[in-house]
Amino acid sequence: MIYLLLFAGLFMGWSLGTNDAANAFGTAVATNVIKYRTAVIIISTFVVIGALVGGSGNITKLAQLAESNEVTASVEDVSSAIDEGKIADLRLKSALKAFIIFTCAGLTVFIMSFLKFPVSANQSIVGAVIGWGLFYADYSNPEVLSVNLKQFGKFASTWLINPLGAGIISFVIVFVVKKFLEKKLTSMHGYDKLVKLGYLVAGTFASYSIGVNSSASVTAFYYDTTFEQLGQAANLLTDARLTALLGGLAIALGVITFSKRVMMTVGSSIAKITQVDGFLVIIAMAMTILLMEKLMGIPVSTSQAVVGAVIGAGLVSGVRNVNFGVFKKIAVAWVSSPTAAGLLTYLVAFATQGYFK
Amino acid sequence: MFLKKSSEKASFLILKQIKDVEACLITFESFMKAATTEGTVTETLSALADGVAQAENTADQSLRRMIDSLLTESYLPSTKEDLIAISTSCDKVANKCESVAKSIVFRRFRFPAEYAEDVMQILKITREQFQILEESVRMLFEKLGTLIKDHAILDRIRSLESQVDVIEEKLYREIYATELDLAHQDQIALVLENICDLSDIIENIADTIQIMLITRKV
Repeated sequence: MIYLLLFAGLFMGWSLGTNDAANAFGTAVATNVIKYRTAVIIISTFVVIGALVGGSGNITKLAQLAESNEVTASVEDVSSAIDEGKIADLRLKSALKAFIIFTCAGLTVFIMSFLKFPVSANQSIVGAVIGWGLFYADYSNPEVLSVNLKQFGKFASTWLINPLGAGIISFVIVFVVKKFLEKKLTSMHGYDKLVKLGYLVAGTFASYSIGVNSSASVTAFYYDTTFEQLGQAANLLTDARLTALLGGLAIALGVITFSKRVMMTVGSSIAKITQVDGFLVIIAMAMTILLMEKLMGIPVSTSQAVVGAVIGAGLVSGVRNVNFGVFKKIAVAWVSSPTAAGLLTYLVAFATQGYFK
Repeated sequence: MFLKKSSEKASFLILKQIKDVEACLITFESFMKAATTEGTVTETLSALADGVAQAENTADQSLRRMIDSLLTESYLPSTKEDLIAISTSCDKVANKCESVAKSIVFRRFRFPAEYAEDVMQILKITREQFQILEESVRMLFEKLGTLIKDHAILDRIRSLESQVDVIEEKLYREIYATELDLAHQDQIALVLENICDLSDIIENIADTIQIMLITRKV
């Protein structure tokens, strides 16, 4: 029965799959360059591969944020629970906390999407963790504060570094490719082949990067980081790779079952850039996400990366081609998603304190 | 098995269709020369009109072969739509030639000889426009990058259409300034309008190509 609590994380993964698939193949599907069925097969396959190959890396890094915010148990907590014979109780509490975090983040995404506010799933999860921590974590403890400030600093810095990095990478790629292609492009047939191949490579790469970036974030808080050390399970999942794989499968399920509408909507609105820019932007987005994962160690927003990359590509043709107004809309999502999720989680933490304290 | 002969490829077939339409346009020019020459007998005109119809039929068959070939080629759906739009618009040029020739023959209409020179000038410009169009379609398949960068060739088509407009307007003024009765004036003006439509159709095809280039800008 306790494993039913996994559903909140898996649901979060499912909803992320329905949305993030659009960033990988939306433009290609909306403009009929790639068939929807082909896109779905590629995304679901490569999200799972990304989760298996690189997803578990995020889990251990996220665990630090979760532990310092009292979402997952520390070695000391687990040791004392073992000593007191309360490990089963700790396990249930850890799983319930994860359930609450993902439910609050999921609800935030759902409500904000329903109200037509731009929203970021990854940012909502991090916001929910911080919201929980603000209620439970001992922020007067310099150690806790230092860990959290460092993590929060990292998290906030991605708001700038992620789109900025994507913009720079995109600018360089688009600039170089344009210089090269203008001379080499000879026929319509060659152009069409290039566009098809470009979208296939870009979409596959983006799917892999989404697997690496997001698979862990939808299941990480069910993972027990102390298991190898203490030999007793204090949460639902004890294998990092399996944890990421479950997240990857949940995202893949979202892609398979419910991504078409979002793909068509997002794809049509992004399709205003040229077809070549379209797949270059996706490549830049995927590169940025993987770089951020390596450098910062926390999952970042794919939407932030896409926006940065689109602006970077636009700048190649001159500042006049860039609609900076889009920043306002996205900035709302950057701030409102984690804030709303944090606030909601704080309220739930307050309401359920009788059980957890 | 999977590789097509070059003569079966859409790029070859669309250019062949354009050549066939040009052949129809040349036959139509001969027809109009005869139609504006005093003393041309009906049988001669009928034979020439049949030639236009035959050329139109050949162009039609090329269009169908081109469209069929697209079914098995790996162009993007948007490219297929654009190529079909270019081909069907070119076909309209042949269709127009055929319908004008037929209407002149069926009505036993004779275009007044005093307008012959201007009409032939319009047709000469139209043919020049069509040849430039053919070259720009060829560039789509052979020098796409160059065409995207510099599409002055398409501006030449538009500029020639403006020349046709000038002659057309001048002729309208002259036709309606004659002592002929209004029905007769209208009849001449209608034929003239149909002939000038050829130039408009070619200009529209140039616009379609320009839109293709804009959406494929690297």
